[in-house]
Amino acid sequence: MEATLRRQTLQFANPRKRLVTDASSRHAQLKKKYFDNLYLPQLIPALLLLLLSVITMWTAARVLTTPNFLMHLAGMALGAVGAWMFWRYDCRRFSNLVLILFVASCLFMIMPKIPGLGYEAKGMVGWVKLGFFRFQPSEPGKIFVIFLMASAAAQYNGKIERFRDYCKLCATLFVPLIMILPIDLGTGLIILVTGAVIIMCSGAKRSWIIATILLLVTVVALVVITSTLDGFYHILKPYQMKRLTNFLNPEGDVTESGYNLRQSKIAVGSGGLFGKGIGFGYQAQSGFLPEAHTDFIFGLYAEQFGFVGSVLLLLLFAWMIFATISLAMKTENLFMKFVLVGCVALWTFQVLQNVGMCMGIMPITGIPLPFLSYGSSSMISQIALIGIVQSAWRHRPRTA
Amino acid sequence: MDVSLIIIGICIVLAIALLVIYVRFGRSEEPFRFDIGERAPQASGGKDDSNDKGIFKRLVSLSLGVAGVFATLLARLASMQLLSEEDYHKLAENNRTSTIYTQAPRGRILDRNGIEIVGNRPSLTVVAIPDVVDKDIEIQLLANLLGMPSQALRRKLQDTSLGHQSLRVLSVDVSRRIVAYLGEHPGMFPGVSVQERTQRSYPHHELAAHVVGYTGTVTQEQLDASKKAIDEGEVGAIEYRSGDVVGQAGVELQYESSLQGVRGEQLVHVDAHGKILDFAGVVDPEAGSDVVLTLDTTIQKVAEESLRKTIEQVRKEGYVATGGSVIAIDCTNGEILALANYPTYAPSRFVGGIAASDWDALTDPKAQWPLMNRAISGQYPSGSVIKPLSSFAGLNFGVAQTDSSWYCSGWWSWSGKRSDSVIMKCWYEAGHGAMNIPDGITFSCDVVFYEIGKGFFNSENKEGLQETFRQYGLGALTGVDLPSEAAGRIPDAQWKWNYFKDASDEARAWKGGDNCNIAIGQGDMLVTLIQMACAYCSIANKGAIWRPHVLKGIRSRLGTGLVSEYKPEVTITVEEEDYFRTLIDRGMQGVVYRESPSQTAHWKSLNVEIHGKTGTAEQPGGDPIGWFIGFGPAEAPRYVVGSHVDRVLQGASSAMYVVRDVFGAIYGQPDPLSPMTK
Repeated sequence: MEATLRRQTLQFANPRKRLVTDASSRHAQLKKKYFDNLYLPQLIPALLLLLLSVITMWTAARVLTTPNFLMHLAGMALGAVGAWMFWRYDCRRFSNLVLILFVASCLFMIMPKIPGLGYEAKGMVGWVKLGFFRFQPSEPGKIFVIFLMASAAAQYNGKIERFRDYCKLCATLFVPLIMILPIDLGTGLIILVTGAVIIMCSGAKRSWIIATILLLVTVVALVVITSTLDGFYHILKPYQMKRLTNFLNPEGDVTESGYNLRQSKIAVGSGGLFGKGIGFGYQAQSGFLPEAHTDFIFGLYAEQFGFVGSVLLLLLFAWMIFATISLAMKTENLFMKFVLVGCVALWTFQVLQNVGMCMGIMPITGIPLPFLSYGSSSMISQIALIGIVQSAWRHRPRTA
Repeated sequence: MDVSLIIIGICIVLAIALLVIYVRFGRSEEPFRFDIGERAPQASGGKDDSNDKGIFKRLVSLSLGVAGVFATLLARLASMQLLSEEDYHKLAENNRTSTIYTQAPRGRILDRNGIEIVGNRPSLTVVAIPDVVDKDIEIQLLANLLGMPSQALRRKLQDTSLGHQSLRVLSVDVSRRIVAYLGEHPGMFPGVSVQERTQRSYPHHELAAHVVGYTGTVTQEQLDASKKAIDEGEVGAIEYRSGDVVGQAGVELQYESSLQGVRGEQLVHVDAHGKILDFAGVVDPEAGSDVVLTLDTTIQKVAEESLRKTIEQVRKEGYVATGGSVIAIDCTNGEILALANYPTYAPSRFVGGIAASDWDALTDPKAQWPLMNRAISGQYPSGSVIKPLSSFAGLNFGVAQTDSSWYCSGWWSWSGKRSDSVIMKCWYEAGHGAMNIPDGITFSCDVVFYEIGKGFFNSENKEGLQETFRQYGLGALTGVDLPSEAAGRIPDAQWKWNYFKDASDEARAWKGGDNCNIAIGQGDMLVTLIQMACAYCSIANKGAIWRPHVLKGIRSRLGTGLVSEYKPEVTITVEEEDYFRTLIDRGMQGVVYRESPSQTAHWKSLNVEIHGKTGTAEQPGGDPIGWFIGFGPAEAPRYVVGSHVDRVLQGASSAMYVVRDVFGAIYGQPDPLSPMTK
């Protein structure tokens, strides 16, 4: 222990300050240096979020049969290992591996479609089974996409001057995107938003971005319109269309997804100011709220902890995200800047999509709420992202 | 594959090809590479500062975007959890609470002495929890056991009219054998149990069926009406649920609000699958109040039996005798002691829902409307029982004098000559000879009343007859506390003109003959038995008509006292000169004791003096309707008993027997000559 600390001190401490010989002051110095490697403004809210996650899943596991509280904790532990590895590793080294990252991203995205690997069960999309392991490759895949887009965008030093380069960036994002879209629309949306935000920050001209967005809107509109018209090929499956219309017209339907949405809104709304308290969230625990431990966990949370608890949760997310943005502003390495931007975009969009869906302002998609939703694939990847943010801080260039 | 897909496919392929060509060979010197590698970034020529500044600006925009997202979420959260919390809370409570209803027993219906006319009996009922509907084998076994088609059983299991979680009633009044079998094989029928519930019982079977009425499942109209009443905040309005048993006729309908109990409610918390998790509030069912009627079971029984026996005898004599009614009123307070009709029905048939075949039989025209309460809803010509009223009219308006006298030769014409186009006959075609008013009533001489009718036509008070009839309450509801009372009809010139719209002016005009007709209770005149009985109450009382009623009071839950009593009230008071009354009373005494020895023979056996009037009203399409209304004791009248029997020879040989038997029951002196004792 002493040796480790000593080595670290040797490695990172200001050489001039090492001259201080007073023992207690030296200990304080060591402590300070140790914490110096942790970016606390982002770590503290993240840890608090994980604490909330433990509490929430504990309350959920008391009343629901599906979630296994220990599995949830195990997922966190594995995630912590991943985070620690990213923290120790200098993630800047990923910046030169564009091609490898590209292949890895595509591989992870297409994995469920590879014969012999794909695993399908009721209500489970995009799963892979490797021996005893079952996981969603798109969850680690998201991290690869962030690295891929960051490394591709970082090459232009913050200013893209040629349209050809912009197209190259977009095409780089488009390939893994087109692979995941037919498997899992929700993850596809996350990748699209995350990649797009990185591209926007990378210095592309505003007119190009606007043109791209217009093109996207046109394509989406075409897809939606042709899916509602008879005689055209329906790209969106009927259930996907229904989710869209449910979100736009919540009262007038009796289908399953409409029911889910209604129950989730009731769960959130009936929580009130202080919530119903642990064990009194009848909407979730009596089975009215479906998927209460995964997609609709915010409903379960908001019902029990009310407005106060929900605001706390959202503020913790906001704190963590703004801390990450602030780190992105400080970081000098362009690649790490873009990685952090990717993390920000990912978290923000997932929170918006999941919480918004539970409150009926976003369409229903199977996107988990970071840190809170039950599911180890998502948990490990999300905690690993914390490690990546911490790594950006630890491996910052330090002025002597 | 349709055309659109192919077109879209081609477009995508073209677009990708163009993109690849542009990227690979476009206006560029170098070929496409993922990694621009060690070469200096293209933008590296510029100042680092400017790029850093650009990225900083973009990050600021990004944080603004993030702030926008969180602001949106927080706003929505506040609107849902703070502003609309109550609405969502209600929805959440609706989700998880469910109510199980249990029927409360209805109140009983008792006679004036506390004898039960309608009661409740325990009934062994097979009930099942709703989940049984999914168990096909169990349903098949149950169907075999209960002896009903499995489809019918399934329908009963799916019936949610008493609440979604309520036990489903599979079979009522099951035999002990079935109960024993279910008890011995508890493993075979999970979720099925036997309960002791209550059903309407009729210990005296058909007794007073038309008064007590019957019950049935609440109709949609009644549901709507109850909902409306509650919405309008009406006091005492009952909230019905579909499937409730409510009164549909008679006292059951009239005093529904007293008889209906308060349904028991059990609030339960359920999960999303409808499984009961725990029990919340309980409201125990509260039985309805017992209603005490003014009927006297003893008199009622005699009234019904006498009516039936009399009709049977009349039928033996060759008349159709389609139906009849009898009513006994205490004229000093309006209490109805007996009210019977023929044909009648068994209210027990309506218990648990009437079978379609039973309903068809009861509503078949050939059955002569057994469900109709003829005594209050049946409108008939009054015939001669109106004559005392016509006499009062004649005397009051000066058309006849106390000492007036007419000569009856068996026929009558307007001018008194045989040569008139219209010759009207007295029922006694041999002629009564010289007749004054009391004799006219005693012998029911039509000529006397033709003269009175003519007198009115020629006098200033052309509608004096009608005025008097209306004074006695004819042509208007008596206000008896039973549903579907009819008002009858007192024809006058205006009515006739309006009624025969299509006839010629000549035919529509009121004529002297019309006056003569209504003076003897014929023509277009229609009355109900209860109206005539009330009019006789006024004669007996020398003025007052008390509102006829069947309710004595509502019994208290503890003991036999009454918590609320019917308050009798005088609805009509008719002033007449005392010597007119004496004169007419003498005529009515003569009907009983002078008119014919065979008539008098029936009354000789009664030591109470009864005065009355017979009537034989001709009606279109068959034999006349026979009437008799009497009151007694003559010195201080207390009871008015009236009866009519449809399609007979005359009142004196049909309705009078019934009235005599009822008086016999009142005074405990049966008539040895009555058809009942034969």
